[in-house]
Amino acid sequence: MNPADPIVFVIDDDASVRDAVKRLIASVGLRVETFGSTREFLAAKRPDVPACLVLDVRLPDVSGLEFQGELAELDFQIPIIFITGHGDIPMTVRAMKAGAVEFLTKPFRGQELLDAVQEAIAKDRTAWSERAQMAELRGRYDTLTPREKEVLKLVASGLLNKQVGAELGTSELTVKTHRGRVMEKMGADSLADLVRMSERLNSSAAKQK
Amino acid sequence: MISERTPVARRSASVIFQCGLAVGLVAAALTATLLLQSVVSTAGFLFFYAAVVASAWFGGKWSGWLAMVLSTEAIEYFFMAPLYSFGVNRESVPILIEFAASALVVGWFSSWRRRAEAELRYARDELQLRVEERTAELQQSNRQLLAEMAERKRAEDAYYKAQSELARVIRMSAMGALAASISHEVNQPLAAVVTNADACMMWLSSHPPNIEEARAAVDAIAQQGTRASDVVRHIRAMFTKAAPERTPLQINDLIREVSLLMEGSALRNQVTVQTDLAPDLPPTLGDRVQLQQVIVNLIQNGIEAMSDVSDRSRNLLIRSRQDGSARVLVAVRDSGVGIESADEKRIFDAFFTTKDQGMGMGLSICYSIVESHGGRLWATSNDDYGVTLQFTLPADPT
Repeated sequence: MNPADPIVFVIDDDASVRDAVKRLIASVGLRVETFGSTREFLAAKRPDVPACLVLDVRLPDVSGLEFQGELAELDFQIPIIFITGHGDIPMTVRAMKAGAVEFLTKPFRGQELLDAVQEAIAKDRTAWSERAQMAELRGRYDTLTPREKEVLKLVASGLLNKQVGAELGTSELTVKTHRGRVMEKMGADSLADLVRMSERLNSSAAKQK
Repeated sequence: MISERTPVARRSASVIFQCGLAVGLVAAALTATLLLQSVVSTAGFLFFYAAVVASAWFGGKWSGWLAMVLSTEAIEYFFMAPLYSFGVNRESVPILIEFAASALVVGWFSSWRRRAEAELRYARDELQLRVEERTAELQQSNRQLLAEMAERKRAEDAYYKAQSELARVIRMSAMGALAASISHEVNQPLAAVVTNADACMMWLSSHPPNIEEARAAVDAIAQQGTRASDVVRHIRAMFTKAAPERTPLQINDLIREVSLLMEGSALRNQVTVQTDLAPDLPPTLGDRVQLQQVIVNLIQNGIEAMSDVSDRSRNLLIRSRQDGSARVLVAVRDSGVGIESADEKRIFDAFFTTKDQGMGMGLSICYSIVESHGGRLWATSNDDYGVTLQFTLPADPT
């Protein structure tokens, strides 16, 4: 299998259910990794690929619903499919409101779980590529010198080279040189491209706060 | 209030009346004496005495005084020499003094009697008033007491209701917890079975079919099926482990004990419980507690079946009989809403209930208990109203 292939994580304390789910998901050619507890899952080294989580609600250490909240607090974005012995409506509503992809009551039909897994992975694939692009962008931004970062900020805010120069106390020519290097380092094709990149960086920084 | 009723207050309030009374009576006495004198030569002073007495009686002490003084003056003026003048003869003085003194005594006595009588009357009025007040107070506290008793009765009823509701909730939640735990234990292997079956299908339908994986899935199915059945067997063992005791007992004693226990419940539901127990029943072998539970459940069931009945009396009849030579029979007959004939068998199914609050466990448990005692429990509709639930138990052969 390709190391960038998506992966399905399964957390269930009951080995028989865990193995059955693993066997089922593996039958459609997806990679599966199983865990007996949420702690095991958090401790494991997880490859950075599109993924989803099949999570049992009734777990020994922390309930699946609580774990969903913990992951959100850790800013750990992964689509979750809940499986439970007896799901009631409030429980389902709570899980779905918190962003769960599906809430299945055991025993569920295999196809239901497989459909949910495919949906979850498709969802995470988009999020994952966005995350990857963002990481790439952030990596490039980190190569800029402090002065270049200042120039980028001012240019992106719509100032002309001359105005930037006045703002920073340098000549227009120096600003032009800096700007050229920023565009090169960031891999921007045009000024518009650069402005867009700056906006994305800002909005992701704002989101992290 | 009370001071206004005193004789002193009344007297001082009518000085004019007192004076007028004295003057009027003395004038009347004078007139009468003069009239009498015109017929009889010596009339005496009887009328004046009467005037003084009457004045003192009706007008009080001061009125009597005045009447006495006026009378003395009148006698002196009209009847003592010299006639028709206020001059006094030497021989008239003792007569006048005698009259005045005796009138004074008579008047004083009269007013004293009068006052004593008035005080007595006042005391009597006062007493009557007190008695009335006290009676009103007693009536008031009696009403209060009745209201408090009714309130207490209501509180007691509410308490009993809450208590039985609590018992039901505890029973329910214990059952609920047990059911949840059992269903989880059974559901896990079932989930694994279903998922493995689906996985097996998937592996078999892949191209080429993966026989190894399919085999592993089927193997897991067999394992998990066994696990589920183990769980069920364990649960059964857990319940049958407490093997019922078998002691010889008199079913009539049990019925009496239980009917006593259920008296409160019957009373609250306006149900009349009657027993008709056959004497000299043979003893039966059984578990005392379990059989008590059966009778409690049947009685409670009967009581609850009549909770909607309002157009006829709510009667519960518990009968015991010998049934053949080797069995005793207990029948609990209610006059309740009855059951559809189609439900006569279903009422013993677990979770079958016609009650809003029912769990559908009571009769089902009774059925299992009676069955485990080698007896039989069944229901028949009565000719008029309600149902008779009856069970038999084998008699103790020893």
